[in-house]
Amino acid sequence: MITMPQFRVLQPENVSQAVEFLAKHKNLRVLAGGSDLVVNLRNKLFTPEYVLDIKGIKDLQGIKENQDHFSIGTLTTLTEISQNPFIKEIYPVLAKAAGLVAGPNIRNMGTIGGNICLDTRCYWYNQSYFWRKSCNFCLKKDGDICHVAPGGKYCWAAYSGDTAPALLTLDASIKIANPKGEKTLALKDFFVMDGIKKYNLESNEIITEILIPKASAGLQGVYKKFRIRDSVDYPLAGVAIAGKVDKEGNCQKISVALTAVNPAPVLVTEITDLLVGKKLTDDLVEKSVELARKTAKPMKTTLSTMPYRRHMIGVFVKQGLEEILK
Amino acid sequence: MSVQLNINNKDYVVEVAPMKRLLDVLREDIGLTGTKEGCGEGECGACSVFIDGSVVNSCLVPVCQTNGSKITTVEGLSNNELSKLQQAFIDCNAAQCGICIPGMLIAAQALLDLNPNPSRGEIREAIAGNLCRCTGYMKIVDAIEIAATANKG
Ligand SMILES: Cc1cc2nc3c(=O)[nH]c(=O)nc-3n(C[C@H](O)[C@H](O)[C@H](O)COP(=O)(O)OP(=O)(O)OC[C@H]3O[C@@H](n4cnc5c(N)ncnc54)[C@H](O)[C@@H]3O)c2cc1C
Ligand code: SF4
Ligand code: FES
Ligand code: FES
Repeated sequence: MITMPQFRVLQPENVSQAVEFLAKHKNLRVLAGGSDLVVNLRNKLFTPEYVLDIKGIKDLQGIKENQDHFSIGTLTTLTEISQNPFIKEIYPVLAKAAGLVAGPNIRNMGTIGGNICLDTRCYWYNQSYFWRKSCNFCLKKDGDICHVAPGGKYCWAAYSGDTAPALLTLDASIKIANPKGEKTLALKDFFVMDGIKKYNLESNEIITEILIPKASAGLQGVYKKFRIRDSVDYPLAGVAIAGKVDKEGNCQKISVALTAVNPAPVLVTEITDLLVGKKLTDDLVEKSVELARKTAKPMKTTLSTMPYRRHMIGVFVKQGLEEILK
Repeated sequence: MSVQLNINNKDYVVEVAPMKRLLDVLREDIGLTGTKEGCGEGECGACSVFIDGSVVNSCLVPVCQTNGSKITTVEGLSNNELSKLQQAFIDCNAAQCGICIPGMLIAAQALLDLNPNPSRGEIREAIAGNLCRCTGYMKIVDAIEIAATANKG
């Protein structure tokens, strides 16, 4: 039987109290909705001494309007985001991606900040301590080899969040609080192409808000994902696209991001360079599909095969571009 | 830590480890064993309960996050007499081994609270997070549909 190890829990009431705890305690893990973390704690994938439960911080919930941005509090749930009429209207790609995370119960619990910070996933890693031990563990936690690419010292665990690619296509950034104050970071600079490091967030930092520029409002959006069980699973390949055509039917703006096929979600900027200013033709679709397939580097980290996941990336890019630009 | 809970309209105070899962607190400390553990990983929905009106998987909720909350478990769906929804599950033979049923009832109740007249598609979506290994879902969907009709009449 798997039991929950013991932790000391800290429950700050506001951000400044949270930051005080972050400054004081080194070995600490943030808990938001818990839908990813609780399983990972039980499997001893994270072994902190302290758990910082930020769920009770009221200021971190809900959607606000600033001068050039809309700000989404890190604790806003995926249900709220996927059903919010305003988000559905101005940032449809985000509402669709949030609505396709897991199943309804998990969307009620899962927060957007937790979704962005989702741990990378691999068949050899997302297992109980006992299971991992029987395979001598792996590089990502407790071991020193990678079962996916045995010679290497690099972890290929796949980033498997759904909202991050959508937010990348909207040019979002995140606000981070730490003991020194506050900073804002473009989401594309947050992620790191490394299954172990994952993202640029120090252990004494928390995400407080997600900022989406007003300039991205009104773009059409699609989000498509392939998963084993369509009702509740993580993506094994996912594509987010936001864009629009001008009056003449030429592509005015387009942004394509992939998830679940690399250790980080990625924007395929080459597709933007290729398509902006042009009318979508079959030839351009084919070229875009090739660019996306080249960017996707799925590895044997799941039970589904690598060629199939890469193939689905191509299928989704084709479908999505045709829906938005034709 | 000491945690205050209102479960099925009754107040409880329990002394527990803060990261203990709500599922375990319900079953072990409160003695309400209607809520089941299927997977313990958020994948099956057998452990579904209402917390402050929204349905969550209690195997993913550390009890420290529920201090002061109002919780409804499957035991809270009926008052001595079975609810129309529960009766419909019996009438349709919607349960086989039964382990998914408490979660199915909670998910179905959440749907009917918001949408008293759902389509079959909406029903399937509402129970998307609830896995049933036995029934093939048809009879569960039938039962929820019949309960919805009974609500109207
Ligand atoms: C069965 C199942 C299916 C799932 N399917 C999907 C899916 O299809 N797509 C998907 O994207 N996800 C999926 N998930 C994962 C997860 O439920 C969601 O990603 C959810 O949004 C995570 O949010 P949370 O608030 O519950 O995060 P938590 O579990 O609380 O935290 C997740 C991680 O983020 C960190 N964190 C959280 N908030 C902050 C913050 N403000 N600052 C810094 N660090 C923070 C935590 O320390 C932790 O490491 C699934 C989970 C389960 C159990
Ligand atoms: S890719 Fe290799 S190192 Fe990374 S989690 Fe999988 S087996 Fe471990
Ligand atoms: S036991 Fe909680 S979802 Fe399966
Ligand atoms: S009746 Fe057996 S799992 Fe649903």
